[in-house]
Amino acid sequence: MKKFLKNDVFQFLSLSVIITLSVYGLNAEKGAIVARTVYNTFVEVLDIVVAVSIFIGLFQVWVKPPTIVKWLGKGSGLKGFILVCTFPILMGGSLFTVFPLLKTLKDKGARTGAIASFITAWGGKAPLLPLETKFLGWPFALVRLSFIILFAFVMGILMDWVGEKSI
Amino acid sequence: MRAGTIYLLIALVLLGISLLKEKQRTKEAIKATVKIFYVVMPVLIFVFVLMGLIQAYISRETITSILGQKSGILGILYAEIVGCIALFMPPAVFPFGGYLHDNGASYGSIAGFVFTAILIGITTLPVEIKFLGKRFTIARNIFTFVLAFFIALLMEVILR
Repeated sequence: MKKFLKNDVFQFLSLSVIITLSVYGLNAEKGAIVARTVYNTFVEVLDIVVAVSIFIGLFQVWVKPPTIVKWLGKGSGLKGFILVCTFPILMGGSLFTVFPLLKTLKDKGARTGAIASFITAWGGKAPLLPLETKFLGWPFALVRLSFIILFAFVMGILMDWVGEKSI
Repeated sequence: MRAGTIYLLIALVLLGISLLKEKQRTKEAIKATVKIFYVVMPVLIFVFVLMGLIQAYISRETITSILGQKSGILGILYAEIVGCIALFMPPAVFPFGGYLHDNGASYGSIAGFVFTAILIGITTLPVEIKFLGKRFTIARNIFTFVLAFFIALLMEVILR
């Protein structure tokens, strides 16, 4: 029970209910606006979130970290560099899950720039495209994804430069 | 057909292909899917509540004046700072960003917010330092903030 109360899922849900109810208690009209926004958005995204969860779930079991490390190697050479600037776009997860993987890449001898490019490209978040296009439209999503590659590229060059200097 | 239905169909087809190839892995994938959904949905609901609060208490004019096109460079900077401190997980970033855009925030501001919300996290700093070192962490986060600013500015010019 104690463990359940400390659970993030429980905390987020209960916090959501408490806030909505308190707003409703203070001002019924505003409370109704909050409740309606939550309900409408929930109904709109439910199938998208299920689909996105399946995409990320499948990716996780079919492309495991050792495979990624093998593919990317040290991220050196032009081919390696292009790969670390593009491939991570396909991955899901949060920063918490990506750091341990990067540590492995680093221990295998990946350059500082390659690691920084990897994180930046990982911010592309292609598995979330259904959500992004739903809320921000295809033009925004496509322009952002194109720029993420450039972003990752410049990031790699800058971080390699930092990596070489010792402060 | 709704876009969501199409995505769901694609996801199910992929799941079917995976099942034909390897039963055991597909089982793992389904387990992973359920876990992801279970972790993501409550955070999304919480973000929807935040959106509802903005809808109820903050006027469109206020959002436009802080994050709209006229606020320009400052708007992007504000949005980036919000992104850095927001504890959003990536799937929650887009609904919130889209919501702000519908209520008057510019594409540039939203881009700044999306970049920093995904790539910079005050809460993940200690983890990043632990795994990749202090120097790396400081340099990466500063460069990310600065580059995100210029790219957001470019996106504003392209998309406006």
